[in-house]
Amino acid sequence: MAFAPMGPEASFFEVLDRHRASLLAALTRGGKESLGGVARLASSSEVLASVENIIQDIIASLARNEAPAFVIDNRSSWENIKFEDSVGLQMVSHCTTRKIKSDSPKSIQKFALILKILSMIYKLVQSNTYATKRDIYYTDSQLFGNQTVVDNIINDISCMLKVPRRSLHILSTSKGLIAGNLRYMEEDGTKVNCTCGVTAVAVPSNIQGIRNLITDAKFLLIVEKDATFQRLLDDNFCTKMSPCIMVTGKGVPDLNTRLLVKKLWDTFHIPVFTLVDADPHGIEIMCIYKYGSMSMSFEAHNLTVPAIRWLGLLPSDIKRLNIPKDSLIPLTRRDQMKLDSILKRPYVTCQPFWRKEMEIMTDSKMKAEIQALTFLSSDYLSRVYLPNKLKFGGWI
Amino acid sequence: MTFEVDEKPRTLMTDCQVIKNFLRKIIMVHPKIRFNFNVKVNGILSTEIFGIENEPTLNLSNGIALVVNYQHYVRPKFGTTESRCSRIHPVLGHPVTLFIPDGVAGVDLLGELILTPAAALCPSPQVFSNQLNKISSVSIFLYGPSGLPLILSSQEHPITTVFKDIFYFIDWKKYHLCMVPNLDVNLDRDLVLPDMSYQVESSDRNQSQNMDPQGVTLLLFLFVDFHSGSPVQQMEMWGVYTLLTTHLSAILVKSHSRVQDSIQFTVDQVLAQHHQAAKAHQKLQGSLLVAVNSIMSIVTGSTSSSFRKMCLQALQAADTQEFGTKLHKAFHGITQHRFLRHCSCEAKQQLSPEKKDAAHSTEDTHENSSPELTAEPSGQAENKRLKRGSLRQGVEEMRALHSARAPSPSEAAPCGPEPPAASLAPSGREARAAHGRVPAPGRTSSGSDLEDALWLQEVSNLPRLLLRGQPLRLEERAAQVRGLRALREPAPPRGGAVGEAGAGRGRGRADRRRPQTPLNFLPLGRDHPAVIKRRFTSVLVVSSLSPLCVLLWRELTGIQVRWRQSKGPRGRELRGLLGEGATLMPPFLWLSQAHPCSP
Repeated sequence: MAFAPMGPEASFFEVLDRHRASLLAALTRGGKESLGGVARLASSSEVLASVENIIQDIIASLARNEAPAFVIDNRSSWENIKFEDSVGLQMVSHCTTRKIKSDSPKSIQKFALILKILSMIYKLVQSNTYATKRDIYYTDSQLFGNQTVVDNIINDISCMLKVPRRSLHILSTSKGLIAGNLRYMEEDGTKVNCTCGVTAVAVPSNIQGIRNLITDAKFLLIVEKDATFQRLLDDNFCTKMSPCIMVTGKGVPDLNTRLLVKKLWDTFHIPVFTLVDADPHGIEIMCIYKYGSMSMSFEAHNLTVPAIRWLGLLPSDIKRLNIPKDSLIPLTRRDQMKLDSILKRPYVTCQPFWRKEMEIMTDSKMKAEIQALTFLSSDYLSRVYLPNKLKFGGWI
Repeated sequence: MTFEVDEKPRTLMTDCQVIKNFLRKIIMVHPKIRFNFNVKVNGILSTEIFGIENEPTLNLSNGIALVVNYQHYVRPKFGTTESRCSRIHPVLGHPVTLFIPDGVAGVDLLGELILTPAAALCPSPQVFSNQLNKISSVSIFLYGPSGLPLILSSQEHPITTVFKDIFYFIDWKKYHLCMVPNLDVNLDRDLVLPDMSYQVESSDRNQSQNMDPQGVTLLLFLFVDFHSGSPVQQMEMWGVYTLLTTHLSAILVKSHSRVQDSIQFTVDQVLAQHHQAAKAHQKLQGSLLVAVNSIMSIVTGSTSSSFRKMCLQALQAADTQEFGTKLHKAFHGITQHRFLRHCSCEAKQQLSPEKKDAAHSTEDTHENSSPELTAEPSGQAENKRLKRGSLRQGVEEMRALHSARAPSPSEAAPCGPEPPAASLAPSGREARAAHGRVPAPGRTSSGSDLEDALWLQEVSNLPRLLLRGQPLRLEERAAQVRGLRALREPAPPRGGAVGEAGAGRGRGRADRRRPQTPLNFLPLGRDHPAVIKRRFTSVLVVSSLSPLCVLLWRELTGIQVRWRQSKGPRGRELRGLLGEGATLMPPFLWLSQAHPCSP
């Protein structure tokens, strides 16, 4: 494209192109038209009707002199989650539930808070305005207590009404960054160009409202840490590897960052790679992008990108590159527990290479951050490691 | 035990109230004991039974089994019995050793006095109610060794001693309470009278309009026990008791700081519970308000007329304002109904930290408090059968040959499922209870003998205490005969006891040949038609059958009956024994009418 900065020659991306072709072929074989495969958002009238139905049920219970209660799916229970290779983690159709009763001293407060947030959602949808979860918390911080309470109740309502959170007109604050060969227009008409030098663009809050996405990128690189992302920006990685897109969620990704990655995959079907630390935490973050999280499993179809591949830092790279042992860190007990937990998860069984890498980590009892590569040279990551990985297909 | 007194009717009534209160105080801490208190006035015999049956008790770690039914301590407010927890929840304080002043003569104890306070709010704070309960009064109960109520001498009367200073043991200012001694104590036959009572004059003038005008009463039990390395002899125990009755104030002054610390800590614990209950109450009210407002917001803001209409119709409201009111009422109704089962009875009993290890049994007993568990393994068959009913004070004429009716259901709203109504006890059991010895619960046989001896000695000294001019704060109230709750067990045969009492002017004497022979007492009665009818019936029966009973008793025991005749101007006073009840009815009726406490 005319505005694309100069990058490596076309032959550099041969392996990437073949990889992309295989992904497209897999999509076609799966019989799934994932383009625009984002679940249909519930309309405002549907949301209002759902809320009114709930209120009606409550009032009918009171009229019968029965204590009303909310029935909420147990989102945070593994027994209610199944794994599908094409989707990732998602909730089972008939999952266990819990009751939030109005006549129990332990749950009356939560019952009241759910009603409170339902009434706020009702107002937002009616007035077609939006608010973030933080805004909702600050409407009565003393009543809610802390942000986590609000977040959980909003997710519970989303799961209870079976509508995505954005249909409730509640947005999450984005913390992610995006840079590279990408242009789009936001819902309010703002044009955003992520092609830049050393600065990045914040992931927008209203992913659903993004239109006119344009890119020539050959791949999308998800970076775990902001430090690594900034380092790559400083090394002008987007220019050197142009055309490409880089995204970071600054650790565990927020909903909007995941939605953006999903949207880019659904729109362009370009290979998606992750660059995470060679430690259990990094692997878990990668799994969130690829297979989803337990808490958001009810919305897995909108959030997961099973086509993601693990680019680095692989535990096998540590030995292969002779990274000095001084730069390695011993696994803590918590790391080991997390690693064991990941190994037991259902999706690892269909990833034998990932399992092998995790077993290497378990055997060596050592972990490494991406910054360990700086012991080889300061720009080893952007000058040698990543280009070689991308050129020669060093992903799993 | 039988004794004869020769007193004016008014004095007799007052003294009998003192005795009855004493007996009530005993059974509050020894629920397995039953007293048959009979009084015969001019041949008319009335029986009152003091006992605790099938009521929740709490075994405190000091060995005391405290009856925790709150209705023994305060009169339930009208309309609140069903919305309150029926129990008090005592908090036990640190036991402290008391110092005996050097100037106390005749003291040669080979042990130490231990004071253990216990405090409770009565009734228990209502968590799930529209009203907030604040403390309105404080009642102090004094108990000596073996749980015997302390009858203090006139010099030791609480109003003249350290208890007069309300701040001596408890810093009320930290609770923003202004306490004043309450000297106006009305004797209520149904309640246990405290040894000392205080009223609260709140310093906070801006009280909420929703305040319960009655408030709650802080009950403070002070148990003074005697501990010795060697088995305590009867005389030594009696000496300790006498020491306490005559020098309690001096002993408490000597041990002021430690007593104050212990009592203050106990009260702090109880009031902390009260504070937590108040907080929980506020939290609940706040949650209900949020829920109602949220629903109202949706209903009033909805543009769907069908939705609004359905909501209004469901609660049968004409408009949104009425809808809001009914919505609030509906929420309150279901929470009130449900939360009654979540009263503090299900919460763990709070004991002082030092006592937690030693009081596991206490906590377990409290959490599983039931009549069966409060029964001590005393091995007494009749105690195990005394499992039904509640505290009863039946006012009955002598019914030697009548089995009692079934009791009316307990008025208390128990915490938890209602205990099943019990069947009547056979009359034979009554006889056994009357003539057998009922050892103190939870004690060894030697300890129980010692306690019996102590009680017998104390009760036998009652007349002496009463007649030596001990100031009494008791007032006679109009008699409200609760004899509608009849005795279940028939009155024990009294042929022998009745026939043996001798005359004595101005003195009473105890007949120790038959321990636990009941005292005879005729309480005041209201002119209720049912009561009058029953009394007339019982008098008629007694007067008809009494000659037969005497004849039978004579034949069985061989004891001759001595008859006395009334003399001169004191013919109205109690004197002598048997007479034909029917012939003495008119004088008795005149007496009851002339008594200041008669209605």
